[in-house]
Amino acid sequence: MSAGQAVFAGWMEIPETAADDRSRTQAEDATVAALVSEYAGTLYRVAFSVLRNASDAEDAVQEAFLRVLRHRAMLDEVRDRRVWLIRIVWNIVLDRKRRAKTRPETDDVEELVRVLPSGGLTAEQIASAAQHHAHVLACVDKLPLKEREVLTLSAFEELSSVEIATVLGITESSVRSRLFRARNLMAELLDHRRSLR
Amino acid sequence: MNSQAQNESNSGAGPAVRAAEASLKLIAGLAAPPGLVERVQAGIMAAPKRARILEWPKALRRDSGWMRTAAAAAIVFVVAGGGWGVYTRVQPNNVVVMPARVSVSGGFSSAGAMRTPQTLQGPVLAHPVVAKPVEPQVSASTGKKPVRSKRSKAALGAVVPPVQNAAK
Repeated sequence: MSAGQAVFAGWMEIPETAADDRSRTQAEDATVAALVSEYAGTLYRVAFSVLRNASDAEDAVQEAFLRVLRHRAMLDEVRDRRVWLIRIVWNIVLDRKRRAKTRPETDDVEELVRVLPSGGLTAEQIASAAQHHAHVLACVDKLPLKEREVLTLSAFEELSSVEIATVLGITESSVRSRLFRARNLMAELLDHRRSLR
Repeated sequence: MNSQAQNESNSGAGPAVRAAEASLKLIAGLAAPPGLVERVQAGIMAAPKRARILEWPKALRRDSGWMRTAAAAAIVFVVAGGGWGVYTRVQPNNVVVMPARVSVSGGFSSAGAMRTPQTLQGPVLAHPVVAKPVEPQVSASTGKKPVRSKRSKAALGAVVPPVQNAAK
């Protein structure tokens, strides 16, 4: 430490050396890279379940990890990184969904035909399945936002009620009650739809 | 659907709702497209590493001790110069001197008022009224003066004789 630094060390922040800075940056980059390889798939599925478009979902995942990169200094403070990442991507996709125009149901059908696994089914069967799923998604879209969020997240195997509550920033009992309401509303909507047909 | 939520959702669920949940579950379980991780990694690598902040040029960064000293001296110089500039511009000559209050001996003081407003002239009587004491009237029937009460005498300013003398 030079004389000048010694004088001002008491009241001026002395930056770390460039070597320390570089090694810390490398360590953070490695952490982010590990997060990408571990959770990119999960985040993509969360994003796709809301956006229903493969490229939009991929963009959302990309944006989520860029946000992580921007706040990588906070990574050590995060307790559950998986839930933290899901929360980030959830906020991103909700924001995008809010800004985007309402997608017609035919778009969902086309996208589902493209991404659904064929599994030995004929093209006609795949199209029929895609149409059914698109109907379900259209009913989900008609639900109130709170119920819709809980129902969408509850479809993920890897998320418990506590984790859903953490992602949405509500209590676990609220998750249960919203899920109950969502299911009742879904039943009504599906019955109504069936009676119309 | 996760186990806790599924248990609650399946209790009393109709077949339509169960089918809908199966659809959501299927969509939620769709595999990520191949090469997603590589694309995201590439995107992160292409992103700027640091936020743009103001910092010293790299050439000057290695020996930043003297730069810090110079910066501190510059700050001191600017602060001191600013203070001196203010001091030189605000001189005591420009201070507005308040006029000294003239104290008048006797009478009422102005109670510290800076300006005494001019009062209106009151009405002036042409012939000043002189107060005249009223003489008591002699009664025609009795020929005696009416007895004055102590109060009325005192009011007229007359000298009241002592009580003993009046009895004699």
